[in-house]
Amino acid sequence: MSSQILAQKERKLFSELLQAYEQKQLSKGRKIADQILKKHPQHGETMCMKGLVMVHLGEREAGISLIKDGMRKDLQSHICWHVWALVQKGEHNYEEALKSYTMALKIDKDNFNIIRETSILQTHTRQFDVLLESRIHMLRLRPYSRVHWIGVALAYKLAGNTAEARRYLDHMEDFLRNVPPRDTEYGELVFFHVRVLEELGEFQEALTLLDKKAKDRMLVDRPAIAECRARLFGKLKSAADADNAQREEWTEAAEQSWTELIDQNPDNQDYYKGFLANAGIDLDSLTDESRTKALGILEEFSSRHPKTNTYRRLALKIAEGDKFKELVKPYLERALEKGIPSIFSDVKNLYTDPSKLQSIQDIVEDIRLSVSPNDQVQPSTSADPTYYLWTLYFLAQHYSSLGRYEKALEILHSAMEHTPTLPELYMTKARVLKRAGDSYGAVRAMEEARKLDGQDRYVNTKSGKYRLRAGMINEADEVLTLFTKKGVPANIDLLDMQALHYLTEVGDTHRRLKGYPLALKMYYAIQKLFHNFREEQYDFHLYSLRRSMLGSYVAMLGWEDDLHSHPAYIHAAVWTARIWILLYDDPSIIKSLHPPEPSGEMSKKALNKAKKAARKATADTSQDYDDASSQKVRAKQNEDKGLEAPTGKDDDPEGLKLVSADDPLEQASKVLGSLGEFGKDDIDVNATMFDVAIRQKKYLKAARELRRAHARDPHHPEVHVRIVQLARTVASVSDVPEPVKSVLDASVAGLKPVEVSLEVFNSQYLQRHSLSASGILASAKVSQMLDTPREEVENLLFTTLTDGVQLRLEDALEILSYLSTIQSPRADEFRIACDARFTLSKVFKSEEEQAVLRRQCIDPRDENEVETVF
Amino acid sequence: MASSVSPALPGRVSFASLTHQNIGTVRKLNSVLFPVKYSDKYYQDILQTEVEPFFYYNDVPIGNICCRLENKELYLTTLGVLAPYRSRKLGSQALQRIIEAASLHNKPQIKRISLHVQVSNGDAKRFYESHGFSEAGIHKNYYKKITPQDAWILEKIIEHGPEQ
Repeated sequence: MSSQILAQKERKLFSELLQAYEQKQLSKGRKIADQILKKHPQHGETMCMKGLVMVHLGEREAGISLIKDGMRKDLQSHICWHVWALVQKGEHNYEEALKSYTMALKIDKDNFNIIRETSILQTHTRQFDVLLESRIHMLRLRPYSRVHWIGVALAYKLAGNTAEARRYLDHMEDFLRNVPPRDTEYGELVFFHVRVLEELGEFQEALTLLDKKAKDRMLVDRPAIAECRARLFGKLKSAADADNAQREEWTEAAEQSWTELIDQNPDNQDYYKGFLANAGIDLDSLTDESRTKALGILEEFSSRHPKTNTYRRLALKIAEGDKFKELVKPYLERALEKGIPSIFSDVKNLYTDPSKLQSIQDIVEDIRLSVSPNDQVQPSTSADPTYYLWTLYFLAQHYSSLGRYEKALEILHSAMEHTPTLPELYMTKARVLKRAGDSYGAVRAMEEARKLDGQDRYVNTKSGKYRLRAGMINEADEVLTLFTKKGVPANIDLLDMQALHYLTEVGDTHRRLKGYPLALKMYYAIQKLFHNFREEQYDFHLYSLRRSMLGSYVAMLGWEDDLHSHPAYIHAAVWTARIWILLYDDPSIIKSLHPPEPSGEMSKKALNKAKKAARKATADTSQDYDDASSQKVRAKQNEDKGLEAPTGKDDDPEGLKLVSADDPLEQASKVLGSLGEFGKDDIDVNATMFDVAIRQKKYLKAARELRRAHARDPHHPEVHVRIVQLARTVASVSDVPEPVKSVLDASVAGLKPVEVSLEVFNSQYLQRHSLSASGILASAKVSQMLDTPREEVENLLFTTLTDGVQLRLEDALEILSYLSTIQSPRADEFRIACDARFTLSKVFKSEEEQAVLRRQCIDPRDENEVETVF
Repeated sequence: MASSVSPALPGRVSFASLTHQNIGTVRKLNSVLFPVKYSDKYYQDILQTEVEPFFYYNDVPIGNICCRLENKELYLTTLGVLAPYRSRKLGSQALQRIIEAASLHNKPQIKRISLHVQVSNGDAKRFYESHGFSEAGIHKNYYKKITPQDAWILEKIIEHGPEQ
């Protein structure tokens, strides 16, 4: 307890102060605190409370410094430590806050509020072992409340002790009385209990509990009951110790549940899969017999649910050969005749099977012939013109997905001649052009679609994206303003709305345009969003338990733990690291980013003006907010600002400070470290980690990452280049102590046979991959590393243009960029050759030509509407 | 897409009104259907009229019928259907709709619908005649940039029932 004793009158005042704070009467609290401090100017707890009130009132710095002073006066007070923990929590410094709470608990060990706060922080920081102690402590203090029993069970479950969780749940089941029927919170608890039993393999008991509670009308969620039963019967069946009669009974019961589920929602594919699995059909390893059986079962649903397509779609996945053709034909005909625009994206994942791809192509080509307009036929008997139209639309997407861009465009043009008013045709044209390397034509085509229907969200979003792909950032924001708040710049509002796809595209665009500071800023903004997602779970720790939303809550914790496996996060992290590496390798990039001092009077003025405009654009909103809030402060002195540390204004809108960090490799390593184990199966991540580690001279780490990548794909071009890099580095370093050196040697030996020289290793690789452009590029990079004359390296790279070599557009771009990295005089020659090779593309045009194309692609004038007659 | 979408049935016709957002569709239709080009003011005027000017076949925009109100007359500026969708009585349905709308129109009551047809276009004239239009004269040199330059003036007098 506190070492400082107050007189009786002040003691009363102090409890009034605590009350005032609880009720958020901040000014009143401050007055009371001043009153106490007049008498006892050194009273630590009062100083802390006054400081806390001041932080709430927005006097953050003065408040915190007063709290620190107060703590020094009275380290024996739990109140002081509690106040300090609140401030740290407000700064999201959870580990430290937890320590302060622990100190407070040492002094006042049964303080329930503090234990509860502690338990929340322990959950948030995933310290389940100590969480368990807190939960048990809470139960001991308040054993008559259901929620604390659940709290202990949940903590055991989170700590991995499911058996003990079950013991508490069983016990609770025994003593709970008078629960009204259809109480959803109790129902959730029952489902949690069932889940726990299921995880322990107690399927029969789980089922008994579920059925009893369902019968007692305790459970509201009927589909959940049926799903649960179906699943449990399935598991009972596969348990070893059942006899045949029992098995049969369970199979029947499960079938009944699956049927019930399908009848309730015939569009859920999982239910059909469950039904089939129950019938003993393993969809992942089908035999001829089980295939026929599965198709037979699915066919039976057509009388039961004739309007649903879900089982028909599943049947397409299962069927093969003639049976597939027989099933897919009516499926396609029906969709195309009805004019279902999404039919192509519906069936395209069947294309992983080349024979299915061919069947679909043949069938739709046949449809095209049979429904194409024919002058001899009477219109009343001929097919609907829209049938023909959607067939062409399908075929265009089909050929585009196969990389046959000319053919796709040809089909689209005949469709446009037939019906020039269908926006989908222009959107698909845009996509084809984008894939073929003409981002400017893509923007133009998307603009045509927009003119036909300016309020289609999908078109507008795509239009923004395509403009970014064409490097037109401002023009993209112009379209996207349609979606954002009025009066706020689109980019700021889209950040507020956490539009990941937008931020990713903008980051990528800046990067492609070599605007590294802004690219980094965007990638970091993306990482910050994920950090916010993590923060946002905080409020749920208390809430979910209180409302016993246990199933969804446990699932959410798992989701939060996997956040960094999100592709957008990995993408942002990898590119952040790559940019740092780039800046480390070539520090002159940063120097060139700071514009030289302008000499003339005019240019200085112009520069200032531009700066002002840029500041205005980024700061406008925060300015507005600031103005508004300062006005409010004047009106309402008593307003609570909370404990959150205010976010400062962006004082680095161009990202120039950011890129000037003096430890780029450290930064890169930190970002990649945040991926934890999530990136370990991703060759891009492994390769980037390798690149950072080898520059940091952390050879063991580099070797480990390379081994991981090698295990996934030993022939990957990025792996090949790095094997040679590692071998050369290991051979040349001298400052590595012995045990490490032998580990490294062993690593290299595992990646490349010791007896083979690097030159031979490289030529063997080239022989193996002489028909793949990316393989040739990897081999050329290694040659360059091994000091082969540049002419030879160039000649090798030019072989990618010969017939028979598979050269994709992205390979060609990479080769071109590599040629300019090694300052090859033949880079332009390669560019021109690619321009001729990729006929539709515009990426291989010169800078000047591309500038013209960019200007033209959203020219507001329309050729169709100049002259006037009426 | 069409604002009034009903469950898909083959050969379904629906109508939609004109907005700033979809006016590009009308422009596109006019550019392929008619040999003349229209001014921005023309489009501004049709934005003002209340009739739904373009129509869909199976949710695809395939034709338009535009008119403007001049005093107590409705003047039909364009009626056209994309080639693959003709001979399905779609134009008739659209015209019939306009005639009905005109006869129900109050304040002002519409007395007459009129339009111009190029004198070389006998098919179009017969089409309108089958819907109760009749020739009211010839407008010499009506067209400035296409030949023949003369146009028939066709009209239909609207019968109104007793005031309700």
